[in-house]
Amino acid sequence: MSTTANKSGQQPDVALTINGLAVNAHTGMTLVEAAWHAGAPRVTGVGCMEGVCGSCRVMLRRGTNVTVGLACQTFAENNIEVVFLPPASAPRHHYEIDDFKDAWDIHARFQDIFPEASRCRHCHGCDTSCPKGITVENGVALAAAGRYREAGGTFFECVMCELCDVACPELIAPAHVGLFCRRVTAHFHLRPPNLIYRLEELRRERQGATLAERDEE
Amino acid sequence: MSNGIPLAEALARYRPDADIGLLPELADPKLADMDTLLNTYHPDHLRNSVIKLTVGTNAGDSCQRELAGLLQAEAFIDEADLAGTPVTDIDVLVIGGGGAGCAAALAAAEKGARVLLATKLRLGDSNTVMAEGGIQAAIEPDDTIQRHIQDTLRGGHHAGDPALVSAMAGDGPEVLRWLIRQGMQFEQTPSGDLHTRRAGGMSTARLVHCRDYTGLEMMRVLREAVIQHRSIEVWEQSPAVELLSNEHGQKCVGAVLTSLLDNQLRIVRTRSVILATGGLGRLHLNGFPTSNHLGATGDGLVLAYRIGARLRELDSFQYHPTGLVHPSHLSGKLVTEGVRAAGCLLVNGFGQRFIDELQPRDVVCSAILRECGEGRGVRIDDQRVGVWLDTPRLERANPGLLEKQFPNLMTRTRVSGIDPRTEPLLVHPTLHYQNGGAVIDANGATTVPGLYAVGEVAGGIHGRNRIMGNALLEIISFGRRAGIAATANRDRGPKKVTLEHVNRLRRALTLADMPMTQRAPRILPDYAAGGVWKR
Repeated sequence: MSTTANKSGQQPDVALTINGLAVNAHTGMTLVEAAWHAGAPRVTGVGCMEGVCGSCRVMLRRGTNVTVGLACQTFAENNIEVVFLPPASAPRHHYEIDDFKDAWDIHARFQDIFPEASRCRHCHGCDTSCPKGITVENGVALAAAGRYREAGGTFFECVMCELCDVACPELIAPAHVGLFCRRVTAHFHLRPPNLIYRLEELRRERQGATLAERDEE
Repeated sequence: MSNGIPLAEALARYRPDADIGLLPELADPKLADMDTLLNTYHPDHLRNSVIKLTVGTNAGDSCQRELAGLLQAEAFIDEADLAGTPVTDIDVLVIGGGGAGCAAALAAAEKGARVLLATKLRLGDSNTVMAEGGIQAAIEPDDTIQRHIQDTLRGGHHAGDPALVSAMAGDGPEVLRWLIRQGMQFEQTPSGDLHTRRAGGMSTARLVHCRDYTGLEMMRVLREAVIQHRSIEVWEQSPAVELLSNEHGQKCVGAVLTSLLDNQLRIVRTRSVILATGGLGRLHLNGFPTSNHLGATGDGLVLAYRIGARLRELDSFQYHPTGLVHPSHLSGKLVTEGVRAAGCLLVNGFGQRFIDELQPRDVVCSAILRECGEGRGVRIDDQRVGVWLDTPRLERANPGLLEKQFPNLMTRTRVSGIDPRTEPLLVHPTLHYQNGGAVIDANGATTVPGLYAVGEVAGGIHGRNRIMGNALLEIISFGRRAGIAATANRDRGPKKVTLEHVNRLRRALTLADMPMTQRAPRILPDYAAGGVWKR
């Protein structure tokens, strides 16, 4: 059994091209299912099949109109040309969150790590490429203005397909900017009282236990 | 199973405001009835689905039939394949790029190890990224670690190992703190507390979450932390085809990886291997659809068994009650239990409730299979039948709740032109989780020296049924434990790497007169392997 639409006995009714291979598929199949159905080569970027892992990045051509998207979220249609994109290359921006000691200098850190973020030329490439409809450009502007919590909120549904990184002519790497914003917000500002209270309780219990052990000795 | 109420008829009959009354007696089973329900309807008890293993450490134990075929199968490689293969030396090798693998890699790197993380698909392609419901940790004032332990053991029908369960539950609060330090966000109450929900099998509210994207939030944060870490190297598209043992076949000293991109073998020599390969939903046991990601083909179990690790509960799997039946491209994909935790009911084709929705998953699953089996399901065609998950009623009682708390569900269904606020969702149990796995200790160490197993590939925590939110806790708790323990292993490393353990299994298969036609691990399901992977 597979997730492939159960169309046994029916004739394929959609003709498209996947990675250069002419493919006949059925209405209602996603591009992933169509690629499997035809045994299309080099389709290694498939993961969750429900639009949350961001792996099955495809470039789509309809006539002269070229777009990008996720193959598991796009349905087979006539005459569409599909190319599965290779995985993203290693990121160009480097930081380890444990290196951040002080929230007061976070903006300086951000500008060191992501200097391109303030050079956005408002081409909307990131917005158009986002399969989740995130207002990426606005998110980057918020980050560049130091508004990390709001910027991170913009990227809430980001699945790290990194298509915006590919689209950006300034090499801003918006997906990583968004994740940076979300991470520093939690790292510095998420301090829930119920969790802190329980952690302290457990620490005392452990300490009590250690002291008791020492007494026994 | 040709009976059931046709879809159109059931839809015409369905009313979100119908008076549903009290739970009928059938729906509130006593303990004894619960056992009968499980024994009669749970897929683990399907006739012919379980056999005895013939060879290996678990010879004589019960095992699901299709899995047994893979555990007792031929390997892909032998000594001749290793000649001239490039070798990489590293302190710790982590196999698997989901939450458990990332947590293990980060913990090992924090302790100063040089780590190689190899993953079959892309880093983060895992069940973690889809585990959106939440993570359990006893942090509310009325809750205790002890209650968390009790709920977990009871949910697992007391088959779990109390030492492992207590290690995991005790780690809960510290795990949340570690995740927050990595930069993971959680839902908060107006006063800043972590928001908790009560889900199936919990005696109190203990489920911490990030709306209905908990796994995605966890995975993207851990993925970024791993990518950014100076001491962790990542090899994507690099499934493991075999482990390596010392000259006696007794200790794990590395692994052989292949590549989906160039089909080249690579040898990795190391002091410690951490298996974090996840589950096996994509084997579609007993013909069920699955909620799992594409790479979940049980590779870790196969590799661990071949090198001599003891496994447990190989006949026990979790079928999540609410897998989607329709639309077909989402067949088997989950509607998070969080929806039921928020108050959503299950109703059959006659519009009746038939089970307390917050019973443990195996009970709810069996009850749905009973409704479908006895003709009270909603039928689309010969193969597709289910019951209603009554989302419109939930929306009616709490306007705006679905949009606000379950954006993931709304986005997914919107793509397919379905609106859960006005139409109920048709659901049927789907193969979700491997309850058992490799036997481990509190450090995640298997019975084979040098080999660790963490996450879904490990067994002993969830007994014969996992309750919601313990998977995300387990992967971080034991992932970190294994990462730390693996780094503490400071022996001189391997002198010789061999396939002695493979030869041992081949001898055993020959002596037992078993066929060696099938090769394992499976790497990819057949329907997806065509253009990528040749066995």
